Amino acid sequence: MAILLTLLLLLPLLGGVLNACLGNRLPKPLPVIIANGAVIGSFLACLGCLPQAGGEGLRVTVFTWLSSGDFQADIGLLLDPLAAIMALMVTGVASLIHLYAAGYMQEDADQTRFFALLNLFVFAMLTIVLADNLLLMFLGWEGVGFCSYGLIGFWYRKTENAAAGRKAFIVTRIGDLFFTIGLLWLFALFGTLGIEAINGRATELDPTTITIIALLLLGGACGKSAQLPLMTWLPDAMAGPTPVSALIHAATMVTAGVYLLCRMFPLVSLSPLAMGAIALVGVLTALYAATCALAQREIKRVLAYSTMSQVGYMFLAVGVGSVSAAMFHLLTHAFFKALLFMAAGCLINLAGHENDIYLMGGMRQRSKTIFWLFVAGLFCLAGAPLTGGFFSKDLILAAAFAQGDLFHLGIYGLGLLTAGITSLYSFRLAYLVFAGDFRGEELPHELPGLMQWPLVPLAFLGVLGGLLNLPHFFGGHSWLSGWLSRDHDVLHLSMNAEYLLIGSAVGVFILGWLIAHLRYRKFAPRETGPISGFLLAGWQFDALFDRVLIQPFRAVCGFCWQGLEVGLVDGLIDGFARTCVAWGQSLRLLANGRIAFYLQGFAWGLLVIVGWFLLRAAV
Amino acid sequence: MIVPLEHLLILSTILFLLGLTCVLVRRNLIMILIGVEIMLNAVGLVLVGASAFWQQIDGQVMVLFLMAMTSAEVSISLAMVVYLQRRKNSIDIRSFDEMRG
Amino acid sequence: MTADSSLQFPLLSLLLWLPILGALLCLLWYKAPAASRWIALGTSTAVFVLSLVAGLYSTGSAGWFLYEDASWIEHFGIRYTLGMDGISLLLIILTAFLQLVAVVISWDQDKFSALFFALILVLGTGIMGVFLALDLILFYLFWELMLIPMFFLIGVWGYKRKVYAAVKFFLFTLAGSLCLLLAVISLHLLHGEQTGVYTFALEALQQTRLSFSQEMLFYLCFMAAFAVKVPIFPFHSWLPDAHTEAPVAASVDLAGLLLKTGVYGMIRFAFPLFPHAAEKSLPVLAVLALIGLFYAAWIAYLQTDIKRIVAYSSISHLGFVLLGLAAWNQTAWEGSLLLMINHGVTTGALFIAIALIHKRTGTREIAKLGGIWKSQPNLAAFFLLFSLASLGLPGLANFSGEILILIGTFSSNAVWAIFAVGGVLFSAAYILRMVQGTIWGPCCEPFDKQDLGGREWLVLIPLAVLVVILGCYPQPLLDSLREPVSFMLRQGGQP
Repeated sequence: MAILLTLLLLLPLLGGVLNACLGNRLPKPLPVIIANGAVIGSFLACLGCLPQAGGEGLRVTVFTWLSSGDFQADIGLLLDPLAAIMALMVTGVASLIHLYAAGYMQEDADQTRFFALLNLFVFAMLTIVLADNLLLMFLGWEGVGFCSYGLIGFWYRKTENAAAGRKAFIVTRIGDLFFTIGLLWLFALFGTLGIEAINGRATELDPTTITIIALLLLGGACGKSAQLPLMTWLPDAMAGPTPVSALIHAATMVTAGVYLLCRMFPLVSLSPLAMGAIALVGVLTALYAATCALAQREIKRVLAYSTMSQVGYMFLAVGVGSVSAAMFHLLTHAFFKALLFMAAGCLINLAGHENDIYLMGGMRQRSKTIFWLFVAGLFCLAGAPLTGGFFSKDLILAAAFAQGDLFHLGIYGLGLLTAGITSLYSFRLAYLVFAGDFRGEELPHELPGLMQWPLVPLAFLGVLGGLLNLPHFFGGHSWLSGWLSRDHDVLHLSMNAEYLLIGSAVGVFILGWLIAHLRYRKFAPRETGPISGFLLAGWQFDALFDRVLIQPFRAVCGFCWQGLEVGLVDGLIDGFARTCVAWGQSLRLLANGRIAFYLQGFAWGLLVIVGWFLLRAAV
Repeated sequence: MIVPLEHLLILSTILFLLGLTCVLVRRNLIMILIGVEIMLNAVGLVLVGASAFWQQIDGQVMVLFLMAMTSAEVSISLAMVVYLQRRKNSIDIRSFDEMRG
Repeated sequence: MTADSSLQFPLLSLLLWLPILGALLCLLWYKAPAASRWIALGTSTAVFVLSLVAGLYSTGSAGWFLYEDASWIEHFGIRYTLGMDGISLLLIILTAFLQLVAVVISWDQDKFSALFFALILVLGTGIMGVFLALDLILFYLFWELMLIPMFFLIGVWGYKRKVYAAVKFFLFTLAGSLCLLLAVISLHLLHGEQTGVYTFALEALQQTRLSFSQEMLFYLCFMAAFAVKVPIFPFHSWLPDAHTEAPVAASVDLAGLLLKTGVYGMIRFAFPLFPHAAEKSLPVLAVLALIGLFYAAWIAYLQTDIKRIVAYSSISHLGFVLLGLAAWNQTAWEGSLLLMINHGVTTGALFIAIALIHKRTGTREIAKLGGIWKSQPNLAAFFLLFSLASLGLPGLANFSGEILILIGTFSSNAVWAIFAVGGVLFSAAYILRMVQGTIWGPCCEPFDKQDLGGREWLVLIPLAVLVVILGCYPQPLLDSLREPVSFMLRQGGQP
């Protein structure tokens, strides 16, 4: 079993390294086969490990990574229920996306680099999931950051793409700073970075420390999961190839923050203040991103903002103390969002590489299959009753509602409002893409089969995902909560409250649909006002950060360089050197090459010395 | 000693200053060499005088050495004067100031 | 620390003088450049093998596992004393390795090539002597011996502003080392007056009784020499010029080795000789380290010459190393020493990659570069790997040192550590800017479309492998450092 767990992690690494080192020397389809084989093998290994994951979990220590003084960090893996469910999702979704990518990247000359990075990404993500200490998790954490960087900028010839990758890396690294500080602090407090040890002994700490550490972890999570205020990188990250958006920026990496908070939940949950902050960050991001999604014109940017918004829901779930709700939504979201992105990739292909939804329309005629798949995804996203998205979102809102106090009711209200907006933008997208006639000019491109059928299992998983954690109200047994041993996440609300919650959820869904139906059934490009411009630009946060952070930073750098380095330090030194040279220049005149002049100096000098001795003798 | 030492010293000082002035003022290389010789001989005079005054032989020995050395020096310097004359067609020292900074 | 007398074979001397011998041979065959090349290669390979052999004697304990002592200038009490412990072993292996790399990478150097290789070899002797010498005068000699070949390497084979850079480097370092010489001699005399034994031996001089102000004065003189070499913040201005103008082999040696001699001097000489002064100076050292860390990173962010970016990144990384020293505990010190080695490998590798890019494109300006991945994917991939290591990506070389420093520093002084974490962000900013300008973006159409050649592969692959190993499994190095470091910390006294 230990070997299976190690393989689960190492297979993608192996595939990635193999492709990175030798990929270009292998005959054409082989790199793709290696990459797919590695991930699928990893998925099978994960399935194999699954029976061992319950209870205490399965653990392997591969070797000691760093050990110095009191500090020790192992390459140690832990497959407990939380990690198992996450690893299964990551490898499963990644396998499907790899298959899809094999079709998507068919004609790209640089596909070995793509698959190498994609495999390395899966490895890094699995490291986050399986790490039994925070330092190893940090390795994965930065690893996914790098792979994301490399893949966003995959088509590097366009400077914007590479710049978007860089932005993603640096913005998430701001979050990582907080994570690092939290990590250092935790080690200083406990003398270990083992996740279980820290969680087990968290109650020993005083509340203020816990709050600060939890907030630091939240900072790290915000960076990776694109939550306020570190969210600006995600929409730009859509410059990457579509499978990348599906895998990294929808299903897995952006949920790493949620996973971190769930992992450290025993610690985080000890601080009510931090929990409130998490919930607030989550719900505000959800609302912010949903409003932005309303005005976007590029299909992938709509989905990007919706991802941000849905991850906000997951944060909200953690913040109201329901790990199983967060994980539930994480899973269903991974399924339907990966589906949506990949279907969007198909749509873009079908529309002749056109991103702009204003130039789509009538896509239903171009491919019925994709239409149904995309709509299935949208229904999940919008929270159509009985789909996976509906149940998971409902559980989150119910958990917030069940807390009962004013703060949480407020959060519930905002969450409900966001749900309505979600439904609105989902159907706006549906109508703009599928209704009416095609507004673009390009002829359709062929869709390879590999780009279609991996979507089908995802669609099933998305639509039926509710079964994972079907509440008692619908006759289920809340399997996921049981698996995660979090039975108190199962809510026991009164019948009236249940009806109220479900009713309002269905209500906002229908309301959103209705508005979208009235507004977008007939295409009319009307989003040109200042408000849509404001929303389109993501509330102008980019401009704000540029003004507040980047410009001053450049100014400081410029001052250090031109002012201090060149002006002061080098200026002083060069000035000193110049003074010496000037002195030398003037002394040079003495050496005029005339012997007589020298001898004269000699004679005068002699005179002075003799005079000096004579004077001394006289005195 | 018939001649008082003071007179001897005054004479050699005058000789030395004459030689020095000659070296400093003249521009002709040969004249400068003559100045050097005069200075050397002034020194030799002092040595002889002092030797006689203190009744010690060292000074006279020194003068013998001095004369031998001077003859060697003069032959070398004159050879160099000839060489320099060939190079620049002049023995004016102003034309030999390449060592200036 | 006692000498291990069982070993009679003068391995250390061989290690030390073999390069000089090679240099003389190079000069003998100065008319045949090929011969000097091969001689240099043979010598540095032999030295590398010898350094590995020396590693076999390592015991993991604190003492010198290789030790040589002979009388030299008895009248002044100067002895020829060499010793190797776990710390110097690692630095010697690094030196030998980078020397080998430097020779291979300058294979097609055809301007006075015999002299070039001779100087490189002499430089190797100087550096290894610094890492081995235990007699202060001997140490000083080697310290100065590093200076001269480097001066000529920069001044003769450098780029545009080579003379300016060489002179600046020379004057800075010389000014510092004169202070060192003064302090060494007065310490010697003082010790002689006290005990009647006139000696320059490190261990004996440690017993000198000094008043605090004397100690501080001597300490500052020692630190003046070391601070210039490291370099610590206000004394750094020679470094960007020297690194940028130096030919690639000299850049590798400069960044990979010369900077380390400063840090080594501190931990081997300045701290143990003057523990009380050192203890008092730690906060100042930490503040200067942090200033250097940020200041250099900020300047690096705006540079347009990629070699200059890497040069400033060296200052920034050495700031990290110093911070670890200032934290004064086991983890931080091991981290500092590890980071020194990591930095030697990654920065050396980066300079080599930059030189190869320069060779193909004829420029190092970010504005003129771009899209190297298109024309030379292999070279670009190596460049990316080394850049990522320099940026501190976990799993690659620099991270393992940095995180140990951070952990150690946090337990000594949390505020320093928190500031230092901030520095990591800026390193990402300038490194990614460099990467973006060089390998991504539109193509710059290099005139030489050739990707890596055989010799270049030969150099880059070991470097890349090392970068990965140092990041994933640095444990053998840490094991070698553990006992010596803990001995030194005890010697200095825990502040």
